Amino acid sequence: MRQGKLFFFAAIAAFLFIMSLGSGPAWSAVGCDLNEPERDVKRLFPASTGYKTVSLEIQKVGGQNLLTKIQTRLQDKLHGLYEMIDEPYTIYIIYAGKKKIGYIHGVNQKGRYGGIQIFLALDLDERIKAFYIQKMSGEYAGKFRDAEFAKQFVGLTIGDFEQYDVITGQGTGKVLEVKNPAPEAAQDFKHILRGTKKNLILVNEFVKMAPVLSPKKGAAAK
Amino acid sequence: MISKFQVAYKNLLRKKIRSLLTLIGIALSAWVLVSLLGFNHGFETALNRDIDNMGFQLMLMAKGCPYEAATMMLKGGTGLKYLPESMEDAVKKEPDVERITPMLMQAVFDPNKGESGGIAAYLGVDPQSYSAMKTFLKFRQGGWFTQSDVYEAVMGYEAAELEQREVGDVILIPEKNVELKVVGILNRTGTQDDGTIFVPLRTLQKVFGKTDKLTTIGIKVKKEKDSSIIETKLYDLPDVQVVSMAQVKQTIMSLVSTAKVLVLSIAIIAMIIAMVGVINTILMSVHERFQEIGIMKTIGAMPSDIFKLIWIETILLCATGGVLGIALSMALSRVTELIIRNVLPYSPKGGLVLIDLHLILFTLCAILAIGLLSGLYPAWQAGRIRPLEAIRSGVNE
Repeated sequence: MRQGKLFFFAAIAAFLFIMSLGSGPAWSAVGCDLNEPERDVKRLFPASTGYKTVSLEIQKVGGQNLLTKIQTRLQDKLHGLYEMIDEPYTIYIIYAGKKKIGYIHGVNQKGRYGGIQIFLALDLDERIKAFYIQKMSGEYAGKFRDAEFAKQFVGLTIGDFEQYDVITGQGTGKVLEVKNPAPEAAQDFKHILRGTKKNLILVNEFVKMAPVLSPKKGAAAK
Repeated sequence: MISKFQVAYKNLLRKKIRSLLTLIGIALSAWVLVSLLGFNHGFETALNRDIDNMGFQLMLMAKGCPYEAATMMLKGGTGLKYLPESMEDAVKKEPDVERITPMLMQAVFDPNKGESGGIAAYLGVDPQSYSAMKTFLKFRQGGWFTQSDVYEAVMGYEAAELEQREVGDVILIPEKNVELKVVGILNRTGTQDDGTIFVPLRTLQKVFGKTDKLTTIGIKVKKEKDSSIIETKLYDLPDVQVVSMAQVKQTIMSLVSTAKVLVLSIAIIAMIIAMVGVINTILMSVHERFQEIGIMKTIGAMPSDIFKLIWIETILLCATGGVLGIALSMALSRVTELIIRNVLPYSPKGGLVLIDLHLILFTLCAILAIGLLSGLYPAWQAGRIRPLEAIRSGVNE
């Protein structure tokens, strides 16, 4: 009886504690979310029937070690005011019925004239099924947001980017077959490839380290 | 010896589910009450902060829809009509005006924002007068532009974060294809400034072909002077509308007050339902213990002892429910805030639900007062039970 009472009060205390954590200051680093997830998820993953979101930070998932690993794989530092270790990354876990079928993940990438928001729809093997630039600034942004440009990324995996140098734009792999639709904006083209590689690395590391993303585990969508 | 409080506590535990449900009812009504009063206080504080952070008490704009324009300005939108720049000199002549700052708001459609495009807005300001009026703005990187005709920009924290800009980077005004160099990034202020891109006034006028045009003149009145007198004087100027920040506040508060009355009514109904629930629970408990109370009286309990015992039960229920409700409202204040933000057409930045010690004590006292009132009738009923009648009722059964 006494134990039951203790459990009851402990449950209430835990609930209030968890809720108060969510009641803290709303100011934190900006993430990269889909503007209209209901519509965008269906468009990027036509086979989906539902999704659930998970917010992860490099800091919480693997700390400094994970940051170093990501930077080594990216062959560049996560730098500046905004590529911080505590930046929240929203991953949309996609379901068909109760079956997990993939992920959608977006990253903010610094571009020539503003932030570029690059979203990738990935299957459970982390192969790109759809590529979407949600926001981009500049005269040639329209060309990079065009469906023809996006199509070139379909089927690529992190393996295709491993030997690509995001700073020089040189390397080997299928990624070199991606054609720049606006040669006048070569710098932004490089930024997009860097953002895509960063996106793929992040998903790859998060899937390895966060059990909730495991291709086999996880609860069904709402 | 066992105290009245212990007896009352044990009595409540006899019917756990019933006591728990009553407790939940009280907690929910306390939650609604605290959240509502917290919102009342928080909204006004946040609105005052937003308005104070504008740095001026009066806004001069072209005749049109000033309240809409002012609200749009607060939200970072564009004004509706333009003022000639010559109006600045006319305002400056007013002896009670401490300083003024001219502004031009312009917006363009950016087809590359989201699936169906979005609006990119820019605020043209005079670096000298604007920074003098908004001394609280501090820089995270860089500083204000040095002249009012250079192709530079200062970005609010959120605008810079969204665009991933740092000092030395460039931004491009869509449609116009004009490059601006970022020279400063502001610290977060929690106001509309966070999402604003500031551009030198002359530059913005030139880029948008609005030479000698302004959307607003911000006016700071001398400390000892009455802004309403200056407001009246400014109406002598042709085709202008003067909006005082006090008016804007009043208008927004009156818009919100309708919603507040509705929610207050719901809170009162919730309190009444909780009160009826408490009366019902205690009354049922008294009826169930009819015989027991009779026996207590035969062994020496006075009517006042029975009255106190039942009253204590009510107070225990209400106090626990009240504390639980207050804790809930504090824990869920962010959720309440999110809901309010989604419902209201305009809400200032920063915390909208402010729960302080004063409010907590007030709610606790209100809930206890309701408890005391609700307990009166059942306690009185219990106190007047006749011992023999009570014992005999058991024999007859």
